[in-house]
Amino acid sequence: MFSYDFMQNAFMAGTVVSIVAGIVGTFVVARNYAFLTHSLSEIGFAGAAFGLFAGWPALLGMMVATSGASLAIGALESGYTKRDNVTSAISALAIGLGILFLALGHTSTTAATGILFGSVLGISHQDLWLLLALAILVIVVLLSNFRALRQLAFDEAGMFLQTRRQKAVRYIFLVMIALSVSISSQLVGSLLIFVLVTLPAASAKYYVTTTVKLMGLAIAFALFGTWVGLTIAYLTNLPTSFFIAMIEVVIYLFSVWQFKKSA
Amino acid sequence: MGIIETKDFGIRYGEKVILSAANIAIPKGRFFAILGENGAGKTSFVKALIGQNVQTVGTLSRQAKRIGFVPQFRDITRDYPLRISEFVGLNYNQGWRLWWQADEKQAIQAALARMDLLGIANQRLGLASGGQKQRAFVAQALVQKPDLLILDESTASLDHEHKVQLLQTVKQLQKEEDLTILFITHELKLISQFADGYLLFENGGVNQGDQIALQSLTMQMTHGHEEDEVHDV
Repeated sequence: MFSYDFMQNAFMAGTVVSIVAGIVGTFVVARNYAFLTHSLSEIGFAGAAFGLFAGWPALLGMMVATSGASLAIGALESGYTKRDNVTSAISALAIGLGILFLALGHTSTTAATGILFGSVLGISHQDLWLLLALAILVIVVLLSNFRALRQLAFDEAGMFLQTRRQKAVRYIFLVMIALSVSISSQLVGSLLIFVLVTLPAASAKYYVTTTVKLMGLAIAFALFGTWVGLTIAYLTNLPTSFFIAMIEVVIYLFSVWQFKKSA
Repeated sequence: MGIIETKDFGIRYGEKVILSAANIAIPKGRFFAILGENGAGKTSFVKALIGQNVQTVGTLSRQAKRIGFVPQFRDITRDYPLRISEFVGLNYNQGWRLWWQADEKQAIQAALARMDLLGIANQRLGLASGGQKQRAFVAQALVQKPDLLILDESTASLDHEHKVQLLQTVKQLQKEEDLTILFITHELKLISQFADGYLLFENGGVNQGDQIALQSLTMQMTHGHEEDEVHDV
């Protein structure tokens, strides 16, 4: 299996994406940003469609759209507007624009399917380097703000005295979610983003009780799903995203069931 | 000089005046009840005290080096994953270290011991009882060794036995660590057994009273209402 270049690339991309998704996902789940993350993937679809229409790489269009949208959502959410409502409004706009740009750009259905469901087996060596660079950026930024981010995600009510840097962490976090969504969509597609970002972290919280262990276990669940999913996809010639999704959903349902039984 | 003093102090939101002409002085090491109806300005006053953005006039001086604050609302669901010891350390919110340093670990242990949580330090906060949660909240506020501790309706969700327990612990903190305590509450009769002074927010102003005044205020307010606490909860 590893004698093929595209399988090597797919495994390396899968590994990088799983690590980023596990780390970001831990904070996303703790801060109840699952819906935002899902919406960002829809916004990412619009960005990618615009990218193809404008002749940019799809990933660039995606990063610009998701970062812009997450900053807009961060600025709009306040005591007066519910975060979910703001998010819905912006993602509705994005999906509409996505369909418009697909039509205007005469984008082929293959390209559109690639954006929506991922095209991990089509990842080139060059894509891989870009993916790796973005992943390192996200991980370094998140971990260098680890403690402020941990408090923001796990106990926002306890942050009563905020330095300017801590206020900035809110926005830094949103942009990092946006970048991770763009990165992860290369693997599972924008429709299935929560499969890697949200589900492994949501499963991990039923087993371990410190932030570092939560990140570790989320990475492990994501890696397991990605590696096994890629292998089965290779053997069966069926879509990778399907297998990754199935594995992560099963892990999640099993975790909830076990926790309910014991708690 | 008191740990908190105000001179002709006022708070407003735009055109709306919340508090005006407040002149109070809270001596160091006291346990003050913060009383008043909802909307009377208690929370706004505390916000000004802890340095959050509110529009103020006059002067508010605060000699506290560090403030511990226990907010009223926290969203801790049953699947909240963090163990109690990590939750208590969340206020160490600067830098990148993924692990606790020796002095931080020690401070967390001390706060856990103080609030009688050592035995359940590794348990999930989400699965802790209401009383244990409140103790964990107070422990978190204590970790960085404040000299002023503010609690916002921390007893509101507890049953009577646990209310008394929490207040006894807070009272002990006041005595043994020379902490100044501000306790926002609606439970006048209960708090009058523990506090040695009060601030009563009403009609856009604030009145300060000592322990004796607190007793007579309690008599006056709960007279003929034996069940008053129950109503106020």
